Amino acid sequence: MSKDKVGFGYIWYRLRNIPTAYFAFWVILSICIVALLSGLHVPLSHYGYSQTTTDLLAAPSWDHPMGTDELGRDLFSRIVYGSQLSISIGVTTALIAFVIGTIYGAIAGFSGGKIDNVLMRGVDIAYALPDLLVMILIGVLIGRGTYGILISLGLVSWMGTARLVRAQFLQLQHEEFVEAARAAGQNSLLIVWKHLLPNAMGPIIVALTFTVPSAILSESTLSFIGLGLSPPACSWGTLASDGWRSLRGHPHLILFPSFFIFLTVLSFNFLGDGLRDALDPRTRLFNYGKVVQDPEEPVEKESPELVTKE
Amino acid sequence: MLGLIIKRILLAIPVLWIVASITFMLVRIVPGGPFEGDKALPPEIVANLKAKYHLDKPVHEQYLLYMERLVHGDLGLSYKYIGRTVNDILADAFPVSLQLGGAGLLLAICIGVPLGTIAAVRRGSGADFAAMFLSTAGISVPSFVIGALLIFTFGIWLKILPVALWESPRHMILPALTLAVSPAAYLARLTRASVLEILEKDWVRTARSKGLSTDKTVVKHVLRNALVPIATVLGPLTAILVTGSFVVEFMYAIPGMGRFFITAVGNRDYDLIMGTTLVFAVLLIVSNTIVDIVYVILDPRMQVT
Repeated sequence: MSKDKVGFGYIWYRLRNIPTAYFAFWVILSICIVALLSGLHVPLSHYGYSQTTTDLLAAPSWDHPMGTDELGRDLFSRIVYGSQLSISIGVTTALIAFVIGTIYGAIAGFSGGKIDNVLMRGVDIAYALPDLLVMILIGVLIGRGTYGILISLGLVSWMGTARLVRAQFLQLQHEEFVEAARAAGQNSLLIVWKHLLPNAMGPIIVALTFTVPSAILSESTLSFIGLGLSPPACSWGTLASDGWRSLRGHPHLILFPSFFIFLTVLSFNFLGDGLRDALDPRTRLFNYGKVVQDPEEPVEKESPELVTKE
Repeated sequence: MLGLIIKRILLAIPVLWIVASITFMLVRIVPGGPFEGDKALPPEIVANLKAKYHLDKPVHEQYLLYMERLVHGDLGLSYKYIGRTVNDILADAFPVSLQLGGAGLLLAICIGVPLGTIAAVRRGSGADFAAMFLSTAGISVPSFVIGALLIFTFGIWLKILPVALWESPRHMILPALTLAVSPAAYLARLTRASVLEILEKDWVRTARSKGLSTDKTVVKHVLRNALVPIATVLGPLTAILVTGSFVVEFMYAIPGMGRFFITAVGNRDYDLIMGTTLVFAVLLIVSNTIVDIVYVILDPRMQVT
């Protein structure tokens, strides 16, 4: 069961035929590598982590490709350094959403009936509240450090995953292989772990791909209005917030951090869209106006179940 | 219909009570109070102030006092805007936010729905690709970036539009545009999916095969049906607009509810935080109720309980 349904090769093939998603994949990979390297203190820019003191508020030049801020710090170095926090906030939030959402949704979907009803009304209410409103209120309670932001982001991000896991579980429960496992007397937890979860994994991964950008957006927005991270913490959001104050005279200070927030969020959204289409064999793909045919022999062999399904 | 509305109003009361109670607890558990600002006040004055606002009493008594006032429609006093009641502040701020939100919503619908429809009808074409690229970009760009770009282009560079305050209709253009971008993109994606689904229906094929032109089919047969799922996202859309208004009102110095909420949180202005949160809650409940009513109007088969 573990070596299963949707062959990895098949998804990769379909993903490669969605130009936006394929390009987004490489963008994300490179940004993540930069974030990782800067986390390991590899000096990626000319100025590394030291400050220059001579050029205050310099415009972009060969020496400072993105200019410097009011303390003479090289903006490119700061953006490289800030990628660490922005990316890790996005990824960690997705992980928190995954854990809470999957457990909650699994309980609701697996038990059904009254428990399911009560749990899902809870999700409905939590879903209807504006994220930022809830995050600000939670931030009041637990403070605005990195952990505070992570907790409040996690708390507003899990509902989508929970709904999805529940819907998947409700649907999968009636599949023959689950009934077979139950008839064979397999323990409920094992059914969830070995049969339901692996089969629900595709949509869950897509949902998580969308959680990362919305977390990055929320963090930067919160930091921007002054209710999120604040210096010395350095994320793209705090950099943009710094830049906002000198928009009139030195627009480069807000332009570059904003661009990287936009690029990262856009790439994750494109990748999410692409993964969703790639994972759903019913979606016809168009590459430059041409319908993409399913690959012939080799890949079909890898994923027989997928091909027979639809 | 009337029964539905009455039921919703009755249901709203416990929801509001829960929201009020949770917010009440939240703001009071936090360390730091409204009078612990930068300037240290003499202890006697702080004691007097606390007595004036009943902050010297035990929390449960404060809670009962607050609830008693709330039942009478009194939202309390602001600690920071001396001498102003929360009702007074919100009465000034709410219409401003409503105008901004209304203008933003209207713009979003006017941009998003046509964009999504065109993308769906021309599926797989360059237009579809461009529209989807634009709308994905629209949900990916933080509203403060849109705001900064608009302010820089129209306010600082071209100098043709005011970039702050809320005085004339001209002041509304940039904030409303900033606010509209992400809901417009959201609507475009949704409209596309919805129209695509309707396009596969039998009655669309019938309309086409009896010789109706593409435009007429789309307008007469597709859009009307595609609008049902679109109308139902008014709830989440209101949430997006509220969130957006925080940033937009902050950037353009607009005296609306979002900005008062942000400053109130910074100042620990307890009653003002609670007042704004409650108004937001009422707003969301109202928009969700409208959604249910619209449901019934658009699709009489729908039974909402």
